[in-house]
Amino acid sequence: MTKIEAIIQPSRFEAVKDALKEAGIEGMTVTDVRGLGRQKGHTEVYRGREYAMDLLPRTKVELVVVDKLVETAVEAILKSARTGKIGDGKIFLSKVDEVIRIRTEERGEQAL
Amino acid sequence: MTPAVPLDSLRAACEAGRDALAGDFRARGDALATLTGRAALADSTLGALVGMLFPSGLPQERGFCVLAIGGYGRRALFPASDLDVLLLCENARAATLAREPGAALVRALWDLGWRAAVTSRLVEECDRFEPENPEFTISLLDARYVAGDTSLAAALRQRMLPALAAREQTAIVRALSEMTRERHQKYGNTLFHLEPNLKDTPGGLRDFDVACWATAVVELAKHRAWTATEAGWAEMLGETAVASYRFVAAVRVFLHYHNGRDDNRLAYDLQEEAAARGIGVEGAKPLHAEEWMRRYFRHARTIARLEKRSMDAALTRPSLYRAFEDWRARLANSDFSVHRNRAYCRQPATLADPGTLLALYEFVARHGVEPAPETDARVEAVVADERYARGWPGDSAAAGAQLRHILRLPRADLALRTMHRAGVLDALVPEFRAIDSLVVRDLYHRYTVDEHTLLTIEGLHTLRHAGFEPDRRFAEILAEVEQPDLLYLSLLLHDVGKGMPGESHVLASAQAAEGACARLGLAPFESRQVDFLIRNHLEMSLTLQRRDIFDPEAVRVFSELVETPERLKMLCLLTYADVRSVNPEALTPWKAEMLWQLYAAAANSLARNMDGTRITPSASSDREMIEVVRGSSALAALAKPLAAFLDGFPRRYLKLHDAGEIAAHFEMAIHLEERLVAGETQAAEALLRERRGQYELTVVTRDRPRLFSEITGVLSGWGMNILKADAFANRAGLVLDTFAFSDLYNTLALNPEERGRLLGDVEDVAAGRRAFDAAAGARRSPRGPSSRARSAIITEVNFDHACSTTSTVLELVARDRPGLLHQISELFSDAGCNIEAALIDTQGEKAIDVFYLTSAGKKLDQEQARALGETLTRALSE
Repeated sequence: MTKIEAIIQPSRFEAVKDALKEAGIEGMTVTDVRGLGRQKGHTEVYRGREYAMDLLPRTKVELVVVDKLVETAVEAILKSARTGKIGDGKIFLSKVDEVIRIRTEERGEQAL
Repeated sequence: MTPAVPLDSLRAACEAGRDALAGDFRARGDALATLTGRAALADSTLGALVGMLFPSGLPQERGFCVLAIGGYGRRALFPASDLDVLLLCENARAATLAREPGAALVRALWDLGWRAAVTSRLVEECDRFEPENPEFTISLLDARYVAGDTSLAAALRQRMLPALAAREQTAIVRALSEMTRERHQKYGNTLFHLEPNLKDTPGGLRDFDVACWATAVVELAKHRAWTATEAGWAEMLGETAVASYRFVAAVRVFLHYHNGRDDNRLAYDLQEEAAARGIGVEGAKPLHAEEWMRRYFRHARTIARLEKRSMDAALTRPSLYRAFEDWRARLANSDFSVHRNRAYCRQPATLADPGTLLALYEFVARHGVEPAPETDARVEAVVADERYARGWPGDSAAAGAQLRHILRLPRADLALRTMHRAGVLDALVPEFRAIDSLVVRDLYHRYTVDEHTLLTIEGLHTLRHAGFEPDRRFAEILAEVEQPDLLYLSLLLHDVGKGMPGESHVLASAQAAEGACARLGLAPFESRQVDFLIRNHLEMSLTLQRRDIFDPEAVRVFSELVETPERLKMLCLLTYADVRSVNPEALTPWKAEMLWQLYAAAANSLARNMDGTRITPSASSDREMIEVVRGSSALAALAKPLAAFLDGFPRRYLKLHDAGEIAAHFEMAIHLEERLVAGETQAAEALLRERRGQYELTVVTRDRPRLFSEITGVLSGWGMNILKADAFANRAGLVLDTFAFSDLYNTLALNPEERGRLLGDVEDVAAGRRAFDAAAGARRSPRGPSSRARSAIITEVNFDHACSTTSTVLELVARDRPGLLHQISELFSDAGCNIEAALIDTQGEKAIDVFYLTSAGKKLDQEQARALGETLTRALSE
């Protein structure tokens, strides 16, 4: 099993969610986060005052899938999250040792 | 030695009794029958045990009795509640004799499945109030004889308790108030929870008990006797309150049977089950969870109001607080007095007049003083009258003006809540009825829709006191809004559509608001503002969620939607208030920061892209507005000249002025044209009017160099401080400048005839018939006194050569002072720059101006911009 963690533009979230759903993947955890990367912060000058945002808003989408669905999920995210501009985000993959469903105590892939 | 008790038969009887009651509740859902039935079962069990356990002769001897207290005493014994029992002894000897049997009694009760909480006391301990243990005295109010010495029980109830209440009324009620306040604080002082605790949350069963206790203490102290039967004094609180109690009690009984323990949290999934079973509903009719929870909140509100009124009536204040309340009495006026921090109508009969009724709430909104319970009761009686069932009986437009005034006042939220409580809000704004206690049942919306609405208005009013970021930024925006009453009115109506049929609540709310605005006497321009805000009240949130707000194109699209800075400010604040009032965690600092960033970017876009959005009479959107203006003008037949007049003005001109104003400007242009055609080579038209505590000057003339500088010079020379200004030109080269200014020396207020002279000066100078410095007003120095500097304001000059296709945009921030605008525009003229358009604004001590400049018909080059920037910075810096 693999955990997929995608940091994306907030404006692309709906498209990513729909793309994953279309690929048959519906379970995910979504968090509003802030981030700093190659895209530098943003400064707005309003009425002579600077308002700087060093950390820019992003959305983190986390999901755990069986290994055979990893590429499908990654492709879905890549296609729907990409705008072509700096700041599109990143996808991280990591191995998951175990998954347990709290309600029934099922373990492994059947708990996904 | 205590005799062994044959528990088996008693146990069987208890189990059978409990099962029968549980089955009866499942079948009929009658909570009161369950509660009284369980109390009766406990009585018979206790009576049997006392007879078995206590030495023969003891129960008959004077000096010992068993009393039911707490819920058991009230005959409201919930399935998983404790059985609260008091062993009352007349003296130490009786207490010693009763000790062992008492312990056996406790064991036996537990063995029989009762969660017994047994207390032993000497009767003399019941005759005093212990501030560290107020719960004990309060529990005695519910004490009910079960077994033993009847005369001892009677002495406690009929003699000691009334005397104690008379002696210690203030202390008991104050303790009750303090306990209630602490309990409410634990639940955030709100009855709105996704999973309310039916016993302890505000509006829960404990609040009903508090109302009963407070009433009982007052009655006992007053009459030195119980004036009602044990059960009857609860009914003194009114049928509606008792009905609400029955509903909530039924839900608690359901929870206890379901959970098997004293867990009073109405969990989210259990709400659906309770609704499906029709718990608390007459005939056990199944309901949808939303409708069932709506009923719950209505009943909780009734109980909460009951508790508040009862405590209000019972509470006497310590002398220090009374001194404060007496000080508040200074707020009284000829119509309303203030006593103990509550508002009274001096002549209650005058509340029958709708205007006086609303004046009461103006008083509440201004001073933050709630109506007294009797004032509330009087208002409710007035509003219950048939006249109000048919709509607002008085002049609706006058009432609308009063409502708008109330909305602007610092405690509008309190006024609206008390109006809502008394039924006045529903009478004045019947659209609000649709959302009364309406539930949006999800894990995000914590409040009912009406409560959410009132919280949005409260949230903006409290913003005025914001001390920290990011709230402070939004507070600054709020201070600049020209017509905050339109914003508050929009908030009041923005979600009424959720209680109306239709797919889109936004559309339903807008349609409802249209009718409300017409009825409340809003001018067409004002109604359009309200309509815009309601139709677009989700747009800013959606833009934040779905668009990249750092993408200039996304910002441009959004700013084209709002069209004017005033709409942008109001929409931003509406969004802030709306999100903040969904639940306490909804407006995170992150979201607030994003909202602010979008606001600032859109404000900049509106200022910098003005000339990219010019009126084009052939465009259908602009044609519609032109038609509206034609309808308002006496020169309606002159369609072609009107289109030519408007052609080339920024589109925001149509949004900044209502149809009547645009028609007036058009007529000025017609008169100017007639004068020019008649041979007058130098002509200008000027119009002066007073508006919202300021003056507004409009000048229409042909463009020429130094025009803006000279007009501003005349105004400064007259001692006028320009706060806002717009300078526009159409494609034909006709200039339309509007200036909003304050009269620093009150010249015009004290000498009305001077208005004509000022206008004459302006027209002469604008037409070029007279040099600016020869104008009468130039006698005074054109540069007025600076206000004493309270905060450092650094002069900022920023050029943008890219955002306009034809002009260089200059943004300037400097300390505001009279004559500043004249000085700036003189410097432009000296540098050979022409002002194509200007947006002038003032924020406190800060002047914030945007100019669209050209030089010789083109944008400024880098060198010109640099030199001009240096000149401005040098001249304007402190």
